Amino acid sequence: MAQILQYLANGLVFSSIIILGSIGLSLVYSIADFANFAHGDTMTLGAYGAFVAFGVFGGLGGTVLGLPVGFFLSLAVGMALAAVVAVLTHIFVYKPLDTDSIGLLITSIGVAFVYRAVLQATFGTDFLQYDIRRSGPIPVLLDTLDIAVTQRDVAIIVSAAVLVAGLHLLLQRTTLGRKMRATADNPDLARVSGIRTDRVILVMWVVGSALAAAGGVFLALYSQLDPRIGFNILLVVFAAVILGGIGSVYGAMLGGLLIGMLHELTPLLSDVGLPISNAYAPAVAFVIMVAVLLVRPRGIAGDMT
Amino acid sequence: MSTLDVGTYSPREKGVVGLLGALAALLLVAVLTGVLAPAYLLYLIGLSAMYMLLSMGLNVQWGYGGMINFSVAAFFGLGAYGTALLTASGSPISGGVSPVIALFGGLALAAVLAVLIGYPTLKLRDDYLAIASLGLAEVVRIFILNESQWTAGSAGLTGIPLFFSDWPVLGDLTYPYVFNVGGTPVFNMSQSVVTSFLNVVLVTVIVAAVYLFLRRIHQSPWGRVLRTIRTDEDLAETLGKNTFAFKMQAFVIGSLIMALAGVFYSHLVLFVSPQDLQPITTFYVWVAVILGGTGSDRGAMLGGFTIVAIQQGTRFLTDTGALPIGAAPFRLMLVGLLIIFIVRLRPEGILPPERELIWPDSLGGGRDE
Repeated sequence: MAQILQYLANGLVFSSIIILGSIGLSLVYSIADFANFAHGDTMTLGAYGAFVAFGVFGGLGGTVLGLPVGFFLSLAVGMALAAVVAVLTHIFVYKPLDTDSIGLLITSIGVAFVYRAVLQATFGTDFLQYDIRRSGPIPVLLDTLDIAVTQRDVAIIVSAAVLVAGLHLLLQRTTLGRKMRATADNPDLARVSGIRTDRVILVMWVVGSALAAAGGVFLALYSQLDPRIGFNILLVVFAAVILGGIGSVYGAMLGGLLIGMLHELTPLLSDVGLPISNAYAPAVAFVIMVAVLLVRPRGIAGDMT
Repeated sequence: MSTLDVGTYSPREKGVVGLLGALAALLLVAVLTGVLAPAYLLYLIGLSAMYMLLSMGLNVQWGYGGMINFSVAAFFGLGAYGTALLTASGSPISGGVSPVIALFGGLALAAVLAVLIGYPTLKLRDDYLAIASLGLAEVVRIFILNESQWTAGSAGLTGIPLFFSDWPVLGDLTYPYVFNVGGTPVFNMSQSVVTSFLNVVLVTVIVAAVYLFLRRIHQSPWGRVLRTIRTDEDLAETLGKNTFAFKMQAFVIGSLIMALAGVFYSHLVLFVSPQDLQPITTFYVWVAVILGGTGSDRGAMLGGFTIVAIQQGTRFLTDTGALPIGAAPFRLMLVGLLIIFIVRLRPEGILPPERELIWPDSLGGGRDE
């Protein structure tokens, strides 16, 4: 039982990361209308941005949720960097293209390579870590529930929740959010209704990439940092987006939660006698993705925006 | 009526031929002056031929039928692993089988996977097919990486014999050879040169056979139906064509050609590992096809050659210290920019297929077809 609780706790952390990645992917999918293969490398970009920023701000005093205040500042820098790069990419690469969604998809692979090449040339391929001391499991949880959860895990979950709640408020309570939902729903109709969709699309890129960057930062914090972390997780994020239903932000959140949980619950399979090791966790996610595509191509949340 | 003058070669086609000729001459000079080892040149030719096969295979799927297959690396890997597992002395399951028989083992594995991947995914929308096939290719890679009791895992397979090792005449040749011209030894051909040369002969035959086969089927009614499906699947369906069957056939044919490339790769490099199944291999082949010209078999061959030029050329540049950054990121950057610029500037590729699709007979007298 404690074992299952432990898996669920791990799942919650991993889900938080996947959710942050999948919201942005879903936003871009619905607005720009293509599967953005550069999204994973946008996550990596944010993680490296925060890594550099942490070298500057890391010394700032005080801690929040067991992490230095400087870390959160660095997180913001990473998010801003990814947003700027994504907007520039949109303006200089995607926007001038006269091609269909497949042409955009293929172009985004090129963009992903360029991002990764720059990171690899600058930082090398070695594993890096944010220079933050790892602390042990939180004693209370270890004593009462017999699960090992670190302060860092809690920080990731809480930060992701804050970001998602912020996005929810933006979408539901602001005029900008209404415009975003309208554009996502039907860009042509939004345009004839007087919404400047060009600007809304830019906002989408900013929001989607910033959240992706946050996901990348937390992923690097959770495990480690190298130029491939984002691409390696991209297919799992796609699985989440497809499961939730492409183009639906809330569907992406739900899909991210489920895929993240399933990813971390894979060990259960060997506990019940199926010889499927942890290494197959991504494979399980991909198979679920294909199954969803076959049975319910619109995803579990359908077209809910 | 002939607005498209397909009988003569366009300036661009002449340019490509000229460029390739110049490059061939340059390589020949490099070999003769001793800058380039003959064995390495032959290895490069083998590698180019392998990428040409991969590109032609993908071209059947994407160029003819419009199917976005992102699992090229998996089919390549199954061909490579199929033959390696059967022939290699280090194979955990069998080993020692003749490469000629093992060839069919690799092809059979790929055909089975093609049906297994194709059946559920070929009905999907384009972009879903891309994501799903990439995901399933990763499942194959993860399997090979982790089931080391069958695949030797991350260590990879060694001890793969040369393709000709068990051929009675060729396997027994004694080395080294010395070419004498007027009493002076000109060429010292070591064993590696001779075996590499045999490899080149083998792969040239394969590439030529595949090219002629593809040209034939591309021009046939079967190829025309596939092109219709690519342009407008609903239309093909309305005309009474079983589009799924056609796509599946193209998918399997393309996958078998990719597996053939993998089989050849195993016996060229004599080592395979899960590293060869990384998605990057798939994307290299995609670059080759769109660069050469989607739907064009000649373009696929040009693209395959270009990929090897990029891979090996960057290695050469790093070795000479001409690059401020490492070879790997430089290559990645080059490929990335290449993708972006092709889609932006020349989406139809360097050698678009227009003339390939026309029966030679219909070119002559300006008759309408």
